[in-house]
Amino acid sequence: MTTIAIIGGGPAGYVAAITAARQGQKVTLIEEGPLGGVCLNEGCMPTKLLLESAAVLEKVQQAAEFGIRRSSSYVEIDWAYVQLRKEKLIRTLASGVKHLIKKNQIELVNGKARFNDPHSLRVTTAEGERSIRADKFIIAAGSEPVSLPFAPFAGEWVIHSGQALALSAIPATMLIIGGGVIGCEFASIYSRMGTKVSIIEMADQLLPGEDPDIAAVLHEKLKADGVSIYTSASAKKVEAGKKKVIAETAQGIRQFSPDCLLVAIGRKPRVAGLQLENSGVAYSKAGIEVNSQMQTSQPHIYACGDIVGGSQLAHVAFHEGTVAALNACGGAVHADYRAVPRCIYTSPEIAGVGLTEKQARAQYGDIKVGECAFSANGKSLILNEAAGKVKVLIEPQYNEIIGLSIVGPHATELIGQGTVMIHGEMTADSLERLIAAHPSVSEAIYEAVASTAGQAVHT
Amino acid sequence: MAVEVIMPKLGMAMKEGTVSNWNKQVGEAVEKGELIASINSEKIEMEIEAPASGSLLDIAVPEGEGVPPGTVIGYIGQPGEKVPEAETSVAEQPADKEIAATAMEETKPVSLSALTTRSRIKISPVARKIAESAGIDYTQLKGSGPGGRITKEDVEKAVPAPAASEPEQREESTAPAAQQTPMTGMRKVIAERMHASLKNSAQLTITMKADATEAVQLREQMAETVQSHLEANLSMNDFVARAVVLALQKHPHMNSACMDGHIHQFESIHLGVAVALEKGLVVPVIRDAQNDSFVQLSKKIKLCAERARQGELNQDEMTGSTFTISNLGAYGVEYFTPILNSPEAGILGVGAMEEAAVFKEGTIECRRLLPLSLTFDHRVLDGAPAAAFLQTVKQLLEEPFTMLL
Repeated sequence: MTTIAIIGGGPAGYVAAITAARQGQKVTLIEEGPLGGVCLNEGCMPTKLLLESAAVLEKVQQAAEFGIRRSSSYVEIDWAYVQLRKEKLIRTLASGVKHLIKKNQIELVNGKARFNDPHSLRVTTAEGERSIRADKFIIAAGSEPVSLPFAPFAGEWVIHSGQALALSAIPATMLIIGGGVIGCEFASIYSRMGTKVSIIEMADQLLPGEDPDIAAVLHEKLKADGVSIYTSASAKKVEAGKKKVIAETAQGIRQFSPDCLLVAIGRKPRVAGLQLENSGVAYSKAGIEVNSQMQTSQPHIYACGDIVGGSQLAHVAFHEGTVAALNACGGAVHADYRAVPRCIYTSPEIAGVGLTEKQARAQYGDIKVGECAFSANGKSLILNEAAGKVKVLIEPQYNEIIGLSIVGPHATELIGQGTVMIHGEMTADSLERLIAAHPSVSEAIYEAVASTAGQAVHT
Repeated sequence: MAVEVIMPKLGMAMKEGTVSNWNKQVGEAVEKGELIASINSEKIEMEIEAPASGSLLDIAVPEGEGVPPGTVIGYIGQPGEKVPEAETSVAEQPADKEIAATAMEETKPVSLSALTTRSRIKISPVARKIAESAGIDYTQLKGSGPGGRITKEDVEKAVPAPAASEPEQREESTAPAAQQTPMTGMRKVIAERMHASLKNSAQLTITMKADATEAVQLREQMAETVQSHLEANLSMNDFVARAVVLALQKHPHMNSACMDGHIHQFESIHLGVAVALEKGLVVPVIRDAQNDSFVQLSKKIKLCAERARQGELNQDEMTGSTFTISNLGAYGVEYFTPILNSPEAGILGVGAMEEAAVFKEGTIECRRLLPLSLTFDHRVLDGAPAAAFLQTVKQLLEEPFTMLL
């Protein structure tokens, strides 16, 4: 039996622990905080809960458009209750993970681990120091928010995404530095809860990783929700004492005095504090270096999740954790990033899988692009969410579906169909005469696919 | 009525025959017994005689195409006569029995899962398209996806050139790519057997140098006598063959084969001798070589090799060996790693003899050293007994008089 020590109980670490334990190995999981990592405690899950409250509020405000009359137009968010609901969700999910750890007979050590030498760890626990030796190690220590050099995270003013989930009250104004996924999601939460939000983004569009036409739909909706968006802009000076921010924008120098400043300029691998230099693994600020089997430069040490850099998505961490654990147990499995869904839970939602149009053109040259606007989709009109579209990318030689982007209602659920197509290496013609449920939002996907062969009926 | 020309079945194992050449064109007159086409199968190339006189009405199987034995490859009849519609009907004539037997053999071991695989190949849509456009038989590919599904990557690995990325380049290039030859007949059989051998056994090769100085001297001393009295000419290869036969008798576990999870040890020594041909290689078999005298063995080897080069060997003369010798000495090769002639457990590779300065009791002598490479199947026997066998071969070659006894 192999002994495996895993550092970090987030999505990569706990999945690796359960996978290795199911392979019959003796597993020790070391986590200094609560199980579930950023995702469960201060990332994916609580953010989505706040977004859902914002969405329900928006729906209630739109009730009249669905023919629902209220005696009073007054609606408010019970922020304290939303926070309670969030805490309850985290508790429920964390106890679920804890149960899995126990059920799979994984030893859980609550403490902070660092490398003593390539084959042992020192762990500081509440009971004192202890040393853990193992045959194999899996490092899944995650990532942490990047701060601005001139504005370190402090108090309730300069905050990171984790803190933005637990504000004592809904702020009247908020400035978000960074128009990536995290920045846009918070803009989408707070703008709909009544906060006057401004976003500063360095690139010339929001969501720089997605295609401009997709990001533009979100841009319009945020603007309609009262968000001031400054692209090609950057913060120059932050005066924490006066709660002032000076930024250079395309329109000139701007001054902001927000009630809170959310810095969402990215996350960095948490390589500090592990004393990686004692382990002998190769790493840099960009993360621990791994091969496609998630193996580090030390053959008995694996790394997975945010600490290896990459897309920093929880489901990628699940995948990498599984791959790392199987290989640590003697397997030869490779991580496969062909069909990783990218989900952005804004309003409207955005989701993509496979290549973006820009990447597809760079790789294949002249590709076929099929589109279907939700304004031509009956169900979207009923939902009153007709903004957005589906875009499908098809490689010309074999008609392989190489990318799907959706901006619009239920995009993060619909993308699962695109993930199946790309994971299954489907071609556009293999979906010919497919019967899509009617009426449904998902019809738009097949309409977009059919349009590449000139067979779309409804658009 | 038109008479069918049929692909003959040459031996039980024949699965496919390829028409290598039609000597007649459609419409030409043929005489019964005239050689109208040549075919090659497995390891044999042979001519087909016209079964009737008349004119060649139709060629059903063109040159270069492989078909199962029993298939109609052409029709002979009176000019203007109609040819039956079915192009590839399997004739129910002489080959009938053998075909039935083969069919039964093939169906018997097929398990349920194999049948399912055959009827439904798991392959991704894009993988199938790439395979079809590249002309790859994807049913032969092994899938790496879930449940053995053939993925795009699997097909791309099987495609010789990167098909997806450089379609334009291919169109532009005026010079044809390297010559392409279909893997048929002998080439196909060699490819399949060699690959299967490497895949299905645990082979390794050990080497020794035999001091053949005395064997060379003995050969020279005997040459005239052997020539005048026995009309034979002993070669160094014959010495090796004789040494192998004697050594196999002393080490019978080397004269064995691994089949169906069992080790089969043989009493008779059927010695295979690899013979290189222009288009491949054949291994004629000297049966019961333990009963032959040195000279008889030498004569048989030479006769077999000659018949092999003439393409006169029949299938039975090329099957059933229990140990094989392969000699690349003529090409200057020293040591090599011969591939087992499956299911045999051993094959001896003979290299080029070389003069070398060797210390013998403190003085330097010029000796003739013969490199020997023994590949054996480690599933059947271990290194020590294999080495002991090779040592016996070496000793016999170094004390050649013992081989005459």
